[in-house]
Amino acid sequence: MELLASQEDMSQDEALRFLRKMEQSDQLGSFEAAYQTVKYLRQKISDSQWGKAREALDLVKEQSARLLKGQRESSVGNMIRRVMKIIKDEHFSSGKEKTDERDTQESLQKLLLADDDEEEYNQPKENLKESVIDSMCELLSELETSAEIVCANSLEHIQNNEVIMTLGNSRLVEQFFKTAVNKKRKFQVIIVESFPNYRGHELAKALTEADIKTTVVSDAAVFAMMSRCNKVIIGTNSVMADGGLKASSGTHTLALAAKHYSVPLIVLAPMYKLTPQYLSSYDQDKFNQTISPHHVLPYNSGEIINRVSVSCPLYDYVPPDLVSTYATNIGGYAPPYIYRLLADLYHPDDYNLKQELNS
Amino acid sequence: MLFEENVRRVLNEKSGPEISEGIAAVRTLLELINSGDATTFSELVTKLRTAVKIMRECTNESISMTSGCELFMRFISNIRDEGRDESFEQCKTLMLERGNKFVKKVDSSRLRIAKLGSQHIKENSKILVHSRSRVVLELLKEASKDKQFKVFVTESRPDGSGRDMAQELKKHKIEVECILDAAIGYVMETIDLVLVGAEGVLASGGIVNKIGTFSIAMAAKAFNRPVYVAAESFKFSNLYPLNQKDLPNKHKYESLTEETIDRKKHPLIDYTPPEYLTLLFTDIGILTPTAVSDELIKLA
Repeated sequence: MELLASQEDMSQDEALRFLRKMEQSDQLGSFEAAYQTVKYLRQKISDSQWGKAREALDLVKEQSARLLKGQRESSVGNMIRRVMKIIKDEHFSSGKEKTDERDTQESLQKLLLADDDEEEYNQPKENLKESVIDSMCELLSELETSAEIVCANSLEHIQNNEVIMTLGNSRLVEQFFKTAVNKKRKFQVIIVESFPNYRGHELAKALTEADIKTTVVSDAAVFAMMSRCNKVIIGTNSVMADGGLKASSGTHTLALAAKHYSVPLIVLAPMYKLTPQYLSSYDQDKFNQTISPHHVLPYNSGEIINRVSVSCPLYDYVPPDLVSTYATNIGGYAPPYIYRLLADLYHPDDYNLKQELNS
Repeated sequence: MLFEENVRRVLNEKSGPEISEGIAAVRTLLELINSGDATTFSELVTKLRTAVKIMRECTNESISMTSGCELFMRFISNIRDEGRDESFEQCKTLMLERGNKFVKKVDSSRLRIAKLGSQHIKENSKILVHSRSRVVLELLKEASKDKQFKVFVTESRPDGSGRDMAQELKKHKIEVECILDAAIGYVMETIDLVLVGAEGVLASGGIVNKIGTFSIAMAAKAFNRPVYVAAESFKFSNLYPLNQKDLPNKHKYESLTEETIDRKKHPLIDYTPPEYLTLLFTDIGILTPTAVSDELIKLA
């Protein structure tokens, strides 16, 4: 994955440009959005005067209201949560001699110890700012290497002479296949073209240039083609808290077909895609986004335009039991294990970011 | 014998229709520490153990009572390990102080669950509820503050606890319809989600609840409806049954008021395996069934 930004500080100009992009809901890739968000927040945190963790948290909250305004990329919210967790963690570990990190997660164990957990983050701590910024730099490096690490495992997932199906276009999937082919694996890829934006065609172009045997099929052919596939490997927009997926529309069909033929479904998901939100398929309004239906039914198709309603949703919710494995940058996990990762990455108070921001 | 009477009296005082057996038992134990005349640690622990035994005998020993008592005894021994160098009196003060916090936490867990769980109830959804559960009631009350929804409650024979539940929901201005236990298959296509409480949450991630819960969960699975469980974390228990017969009989058969039913043949609870459950709403967060054993292992 090409890095558009380096770890260097954002200039005033860059920061403003980034903020404008976010507010006008310009489409950034989920990686780019996550990376820029952390960089932007790091800039804000190092530029402002603060001594207590509470002040830093308020600062982040104030900024995130602007960042989240027009964004449909969940990775922005995820990164804001990561940063808030960093501040909270550093608050407990810095200044004190005690290095054991306090477990911020609620647990039976904690119930047993009857700890007071009403933490206001109001005591000033020494070196808090430095350690927060250090941890944020670590987070940035983690983001930079995440795709590479996911792809490093490609040989374990792709065997010789396999037929692999994928849907649409994901930069990560493209890189994953290319890594495998560079290591001399021979395999064939069937790409579902993904109507109406035909992002599958872009992937097909990239893969054929890398000398991978590629077949493009229409969305309707998923079921017919599935019986001859060994594996399905896809990217996703986000991984939901219950282990389900929010992925581009058509993925649910693909997953059901894979289940029917007992074809394993592997999802490539770097950790910044993991979101602590539960949204279920029966709440489509909140979950989904619809885009211009121009491709489905062009505006110039005459009288019929007035008679029908056309909807073009962007996403599908895929329930966790249809996913076999998540290949992440910290290892492979089964969907029921997602809740553990969630507990490691985010503070439970920050799960519901919108509510938190309003309070 | 004097001690036994004392335990019974305190337990009676602490129990009530709105209080879970587990909480009542924990409160009783705390009260016994407070008023007791034990002078050493082992004396205290022996006394508490006897008290637990007495409480089990004089009630329809529920799983939540067993798990609540177990958790509390573990809590006591934790304090003992910590306060090795301190005198018994100091330990006792510490114990009471922390014990009160513990009870407070346990008490507030129902509200926490209500807050966490209510976000899963959407506007205009139709919810199937089985039997009477205080946590579920609290959750629905919380959700009704800003949402409209309809609840179907099973009548839940033989004690008809579902009818009580329906009454209470009505009192809180929630649209409710009481249905026959046998009508579960009929309503399943109309509802959006199933919400049940639990008497105990087991190490497998499955739950033990009022008889009929398993059938509802199976029907829900057949219709692809999510099954949510609302339960406090003190109900987590180390049991790991593989089938219905594995459930200890002492939990299965309670005293029945209805005489037409042979109580030796008709269990009042059943075990619902984890694969039929979608999520558990607990005071320690929203968990997948797999997470339960993780929590229990962390304790050990």
